[in-house]
Amino acid sequence: MGQEERHTEEKVYRQLRANSLLQEIMLRYMMEGQAASEQGKLAWVTSGFPVEIPVTMGVNVSYPEQYGAIIGSQKVGPEICGFAEELGYSQELCSYARSSIGSVRYPEKSPLDGLPKPQALLACNNICGTVLRWYDAVSQMTGAPVFLFDTPPTEGDQPSHHREYVRQSVLRLIDFLSRTFHTSFSEERLRKVGELSGEAIDLWTRSLKACRNRPSPLNCADRFLAMAPIVALRGTEPAIEFYQALLEEVQERVSQGLGAIRDERIRLLWDDIPPWFTIFRFFNGLAARGVVFPADTYTHAWSGSLAGADLLDSVVSVYSNVYLNKGLEAKVDKMCELIKEYSLDGFIMFSVRSCKRYSLGQLVSKELVMERTGVPGVVIEGDMVDSRLFNDAQIQTRLDALLEMFL
Amino acid sequence: MSYEQVTVQSNSQTLKPTVTDRLTMGYVYPHAPLEIIMAHGLTPTLVRARPGIAGAFEASLQTFACSYTRNLFSQRANDQMPASSALLFPGNTCDSLLNVGDIWRVRFPDDIIFRLTYPAANQGEAAVHYLADELRSLSQSIEAAFGRPFSEEEFRDAAGLTRQFRSAAQFLYAARVVSPQVLRYSKLAALIHTFLLSPDQKSANEITNASTQVQRALARSRLLDSAKKIQEQLIKRHLTPAALPHGAKSPRIAIAGGMIDPGAIVALFNAAGIPEDALVMDLFSFGFKTVFTPPCEVGRDPFDSVARSILASPLEPTQEGLGVRLAFLKDVVTNLAVDGLIVCEQSFCDPDEFEAPSLEAEASKSGVAVMRLPIDPELSDRERLGVRLQSFLETISPRSGR
Repeated sequence: MGQEERHTEEKVYRQLRANSLLQEIMLRYMMEGQAASEQGKLAWVTSGFPVEIPVTMGVNVSYPEQYGAIIGSQKVGPEICGFAEELGYSQELCSYARSSIGSVRYPEKSPLDGLPKPQALLACNNICGTVLRWYDAVSQMTGAPVFLFDTPPTEGDQPSHHREYVRQSVLRLIDFLSRTFHTSFSEERLRKVGELSGEAIDLWTRSLKACRNRPSPLNCADRFLAMAPIVALRGTEPAIEFYQALLEEVQERVSQGLGAIRDERIRLLWDDIPPWFTIFRFFNGLAARGVVFPADTYTHAWSGSLAGADLLDSVVSVYSNVYLNKGLEAKVDKMCELIKEYSLDGFIMFSVRSCKRYSLGQLVSKELVMERTGVPGVVIEGDMVDSRLFNDAQIQTRLDALLEMFL
Repeated sequence: MSYEQVTVQSNSQTLKPTVTDRLTMGYVYPHAPLEIIMAHGLTPTLVRARPGIAGAFEASLQTFACSYTRNLFSQRANDQMPASSALLFPGNTCDSLLNVGDIWRVRFPDDIIFRLTYPAANQGEAAVHYLADELRSLSQSIEAAFGRPFSEEEFRDAAGLTRQFRSAAQFLYAARVVSPQVLRYSKLAALIHTFLLSPDQKSANEITNASTQVQRALARSRLLDSAKKIQEQLIKRHLTPAALPHGAKSPRIAIAGGMIDPGAIVALFNAAGIPEDALVMDLFSFGFKTVFTPPCEVGRDPFDSVARSILASPLEPTQEGLGVRLAFLKDVVTNLAVDGLIVCEQSFCDPDEFEAPSLEAEASKSGVAVMRLPIDPELSDRERLGVRLQSFLETISPRSGR
């Protein structure tokens, strides 16, 4: 065994080979975004946006939330968020929004010189209401028009008037893109893009479900990195290419009994966005204590595929019914389902100060989930990009208290 | 559920129904469908954030929930919430209010909670149809909960009442633009609050009487026509330079923000020893925006009519349309001879805090002095806010050319 191999073997976690392909694909995606911007064909979109429509119409997309994750992981969140604060945006606001606004103000001081300049801003409020106001702010700075794809939150079954309203949003979106980008819509093309999107989601879902195995082939950080194409490249061939490679590796690990971490002893559920600026340190620190996260509520959020005779109706269903667009009860149900399905011993809820839609309600959800499943959980508070809002010592104390319950 | 059943079910853990013969429905978002609620024989009553409430939210809400929702939650948890038979929460306006509605249902399971989900996009007729259906659904839920069907007659009465209230209040807003001394801002705020807390003939008459008195006063000083013209222009949201009396006092301050209680601003001004005459206009959700909501029309489908009324209400930062709001702000500060703008921000309120820099920039471009005022319902830091207000007023000078 060579020195390099021995070094790898000593680590508490196993690196995915597919990560190198992921880097290649994401680099290509960023370069394509830059080229599209130069050609006047780039839109910024929110993570829950029905991206198959712009892709169908030949409009490239970039994801400011994903860029926020890059800012966080490069540990420059406080600096870039600070640029937005200099412009008057409160530190109490979403750090994805602040870092995005800050990078638009000073692209030359931001990672990768900022996102390429958009010609339109496409916001869907199925993930939060903040996106509209965030994109309004960026619109003020860039002159790109904002389109709001409005998906009123649902409680239980989606009523028919909700569906009709959202369907009108789809039609309005097609009209907006046609006018803004001088392009046209084809249902045939949407079906093809929908199939590609569905195939990628299916492959991704199979990798996620493989984590029901013991040991789990993927840990939290693996999934948070591997989710990039499902967020940014739905409806494209490269996404399928990556998720095929990922699934093969995951299945290989399962067949060989290899886990994502060396010594899996405690299986937990993760709720909410991760602290990007400490993602490896945080999850690997727990991995060293035998803690793996076979499931989380965030990466499981991309699940619906466009299919059926009425494709626009399918867009309505998939994008209205995303996890964050449902009430507290649905979130509790989902957590309980994951805990049962993935044989989890407990859960950690990351209360992200930036994200009110995701995080407010966790104190109550925690009690409900504990009551229904009988497993313990803990709420820790911090932020996903702005490390100034992350108190490591306080968090470790809370985690220690939780982990003691499993010893 | 009848009123008697609600009374029997009430205990210290539930909202307390009123001791009058009318059921009440508390609402927390300014654009509640008052006429629909009243058509079921319920009295809609604004649930206000109030100072002096001890925090009791910590076991249910994180500290980064907006201060308005924290205050409401604490009121309820402390059993200090005014009597109400049910509560109406909004959906799709902001994330805090959406989630708090859910949390409320878990923490206070015996409370009767309704939700009205608004459209956030400017989607024309599709938005009207959507909201009309939401209102129909709310109406059915109210009937199911209280056993009180929708009454066309009560709807007509309610529409007449809100029309009377808004017409009087709109005139008073316009009158204060022309002559802020003609009515104290605190009086206007109190008249509006009285109606929003208890929309009945008495409160409508009270503001109507005030409007009549102000009309007489302005007629004597030959300013009535100016005020009426400004009222019309504010309704149409298209202003031309206001004809102000020669030697009008300055500075003239406008104040903007979302879910800020006008009463809280009065308290701050008074505490800082600043004359209320300086405050010529507010653009608050519980002030200007509620008052300038157009009346619903009777004689057509009531749900469609109320939906159109709500969707035509002006300038809510929870909805699509920042550009329109900024254009209107520019219109206000340039045409109403405003010297300074105070932009209030409810702490941890996304709509307020996102919009404040844009409002500040727009007003600054128009040459108006701007101050941003972070505020919470408890008026914590009142002394510091007072000093900031005083300093701001001292530093601004009247605009040139007036």
